[in-house]
Amino acid sequence: MTKPQDKLRGLPAARKALLAGLRFTSLRLRLVVVFGLVALTAAVSASGIAYWLNREAVLTRAQDAALKDFRQQMQTRAGALRADATQEELQAAAGQMANSSQGYSVLLVAEKKGGGRIVGYSDLDAFTLAKVPGSLQKAVLKKQELTSGNDSPYHLYWQRTVDHGTPYLVGGATVIGGGPTGYMLKSLEPEAKDLSSLGWSLAIATALALIGSALLAQAAATTVLKPVHRLGVAARRLGEGKLDTRLRVSGTDELADLSRTFNRTAENLEKKVADMSARDEASRRFVADMSHELRTPLTAITAVTEVLEEELDAETGSVDPMIEPAVRLVVSETRRLGDLVENLMEVTRFDAGTARLVLDDVDIADQITACIDARAWLDAVELDAERGITARLDPRRLDVILANLIGNALKHGGSPVEVSVRLEDAKLVISVRDHGPGIPEDVLPHVFDRFYKASASRPRSEGSGLGLSIALENAHIHGGDISAANCPDGGAVFTLWLPCESESEVGCQATEVPAEGGQA
Amino acid sequence: MGALQQSKCGRAWDRMTSVPSLLLIEDDDAIRTALELSLTRQGHRVATAATGEDGLKLLGEQRPDLIVLDVMLPGIDGFEVCRRIRRTDQLPIILLTARSDDIDVVVGLESGADDYVVKPVQGRVLDARIRAVLRRGEREANDAATFGSLVIDRAAMTVTKNGEDLQLTPTELRLLLELSRRPGQALSRQQLLRLVWEHDYLGDSRLVDACVQRLRAKVEDVPSSPTLIRTVRGVGYRLDTPQ
Repeated sequence: MTKPQDKLRGLPAARKALLAGLRFTSLRLRLVVVFGLVALTAAVSASGIAYWLNREAVLTRAQDAALKDFRQQMQTRAGALRADATQEELQAAAGQMANSSQGYSVLLVAEKKGGGRIVGYSDLDAFTLAKVPGSLQKAVLKKQELTSGNDSPYHLYWQRTVDHGTPYLVGGATVIGGGPTGYMLKSLEPEAKDLSSLGWSLAIATALALIGSALLAQAAATTVLKPVHRLGVAARRLGEGKLDTRLRVSGTDELADLSRTFNRTAENLEKKVADMSARDEASRRFVADMSHELRTPLTAITAVTEVLEEELDAETGSVDPMIEPAVRLVVSETRRLGDLVENLMEVTRFDAGTARLVLDDVDIADQITACIDARAWLDAVELDAERGITARLDPRRLDVILANLIGNALKHGGSPVEVSVRLEDAKLVISVRDHGPGIPEDVLPHVFDRFYKASASRPRSEGSGLGLSIALENAHIHGGDISAANCPDGGAVFTLWLPCESESEVGCQATEVPAEGGQA
Repeated sequence: MGALQQSKCGRAWDRMTSVPSLLLIEDDDAIRTALELSLTRQGHRVATAATGEDGLKLLGEQRPDLIVLDVMLPGIDGFEVCRRIRRTDQLPIILLTARSDDIDVVVGLESGADDYVVKPVQGRVLDARIRAVLRRGEREANDAATFGSLVIDRAAMTVTKNGEDLQLTPTELRLLLELSRRPGQALSRQQLLRLVWEHDYLGDSRLVDACVQRLRAKVEDVPSSPTLIRTVRGVGYRLDTPQ
């Protein structure tokens, strides 16, 4: 029976926990983000530097080897050509040069005497003069000043270009002392491929580092959050009044310190609450014992005062007229004292939680009529209740509530007092209304307080000062309540609610009045 | 302590054909004296005892019409006194409880008391209760009724089951009579409290429940599954003729 309920209750709880976990401000998410950022920065900068260094090293090596070879070839092959070499000779030299191990294409350009030039190429499809940047051609052909730092008039120049997405190395040199100008074109694609696979592996490594950091962050968050969560649960339990809640302390870190502090606090709180409740218990015990002890002499006095009372009422006049007022005072004050002790006993029973309900099926209208009849209030009370509303409740306690509410209304508002009964949303609602001056606003919150007097200077009233408080306690023990308010058109109104679910133990229903056949 | 005292008050004599004699068992001197004074003025003959043991001894010597018994007694307490009396006697017993704590009332009723009064008690209330209990033994009608093996003779005020006399207290007898007067009809606890106990509208329904339990123990074949005195849920009790 409980399992499906738990499950039902578990679902929203799980969703809530999930939402809390995803909340941006949650510690877990923040930790993951920070860990991720650190890992990302570290991985990206490390791979970036590694990639860049590798790239330079690889490219420079390939380039140096190619240019060195090209220089040699220029010296041996192009330098060996005659100054007026034909196009075929240039072509042959270019082919030979391109045949070297470095695998580049060669273009040899020679100035013809009397203007024009001839071009020898190793591979016309791959390499034409159009592919040589103009700035490189200019630099190669430019004659340099001879200085101490520069011992030759022409230099070897190179440049990296990209053509259709393929990186190329273009180099150019001219033979010193007259000769053809040579250009070389080497594809750097293998190197680029190597570099791109290096880049990929570095990216994968970065991604792995990110995932690792997220997992680490989760683990770190768990190690931090678990104790925090335990602490939160413990604090909540403490707040719910389970003062014996303690945390298991392990380790020596800050969280363990916090747990120790929590335990100490809970211990102190428990001790303090225990002290207070012991003191409270003692004072309640005292009141209970005292009213018990008062009861024994009161029983004797009450029994005897009746004898005195009868003497007063007797026509024989056996009491000395001089002491008659004294006897009357003793009789009336004894009755008051009896009521007070009775009320005190009632209050101590509520405080000690020993008050019990003696339930019976009660016709509400009958009960109210009997209550006001027994106190000779029939003329002062206007009852508006339909017969046939029965409720399962403690008739004595209902009588106490009604007597206190109606008695209070009569005392402060005078007659008539209006009492109405109705059923409202499975609740029995009884309202008691007077036409007096109403309750002052500053008194209203305190009307149910024990021994509360509207003003200190007010003379002591007829009541014990416990009546309304006892009425309220009696309503509470039924699971009901009483509220006090002022009517907009004057007078105070006290409203009593009593629960009446028909399935529960305290229930009520409106039924046909059963025939009371044969009753005398 | 404890000789039966003749009442000196004559006011109630006109009303009563015979003066009821009571045994008051109460340990507190002041309460005993005061209640004795009060009850005597109401027209009862009152014998007193300060302990349960004294009370039981006095009961053996001189049989009163009714016992008023304090619960808190030195030595054997009121409940135990009540139980011991019930073993042999069906005398009406009214408990005087100093505490109206519910457990006391329930234990008192289970030990066989007919009624209870909470201290501080007014003499008039106690007197009314005493008279109500005593009235239960009065005869009123002259007929008999049969419920299965149970025969209620209203003239002789006796109840027999399978021909054997049943020992019922006046309260149990009165309860059975009221139920038998309306066979097959459910009576509420409040109705029964008025009819049998003569309590006002605030009667304690547990009196009825306890008395029904005791009555069932005597008249039913199997008290735990009653066929005569049936419980009517939400209403009260009903006397049925078994099929």
